[in-house]
Amino acid sequence: MSTAVDDELWSAIGDPTRRTMIDLLLSDGPGTATSLSRRLPVTRQAVSKHLAVLDRVGLIHAESAGRERHYQVDEAQLARAVAQLSAVGSTWDARLRRIKRIAEAIERNRHHDEGE
Amino acid sequence: MEQGTIERDIHVDASPEVVFEVVSQPEHMREWWPDDARFESVAGAPGELVWRNADTGETTTVALAVVEVDPPKRFSFRWCFTEPDRGGPALLVTFDLTPTGTGTQIRMTETGFREMGWEIAVLEAQYQDHENGWDHYMPRLGGYVARLVATP
Repeated sequence: MSTAVDDELWSAIGDPTRRTMIDLLLSDGPGTATSLSRRLPVTRQAVSKHLAVLDRVGLIHAESAGRERHYQVDEAQLARAVAQLSAVGSTWDARLRRIKRIAEAIERNRHHDEGE
Repeated sequence: MEQGTIERDIHVDASPEVVFEVVSQPEHMREWWPDDARFESVAGAPGELVWRNADTGETTTVALAVVEVDPPKRFSFRWCFTEPDRGGPALLVTFDLTPTGTGTQIRMTETGFREMGWEIAVLEAQYQDHENGWDHYMPRLGGYVARLVATP
């Protein structure tokens, strides 16, 4: 498989403040820029910018209810990001297991040839 | 895990000479990684890794550049270049081989994630570390993540 990585998705989720926002939206349910800014050491304006980044890559979705937009996490898109992340590590585990298998087979054949 | 780096160790019951061939020769590499690998195992040589979609027949080609060839101790290459013609930041994969009594210890190191701005490494560190990890912060997603990790 290819390990083409969605750069924009990575950088969106790579920021610690944005990750904390995702955590809060997951644990507390949908939130607004105002409700999130009360839980974070950043301004409402900064929260709005972070929300826009997360929205753009599809990690959260907004619904207009009342005066403010209510954001919630798109768990499918988040799972996709997590899957890409785990793939980076786990694909190397799989590759190294194949390297081991191939090298050991060659080594065994070599001994076998020498033994004949 | 050091931020920005993926490290893996594996022991192989084969001599460093055999292991070196397997990690550094394209005819072996295509057995453990892409569908096709084209490069000369010479420092500085450009190359390509090719993946073929079994359903559509479409191919994806990724540029590679051999960095260091020091048999039977070290083989390294760059891939995932961010700019055309093998330019810009890229990931660096290094295989360090150490002989042991019964075979070879391989250390695979992949670095460059931070330079590429992906911050994957930060994520992976948190992800792997269950005390501070996403499982802790994301109880609702915990089961889903566990299933993803369990999938080969």
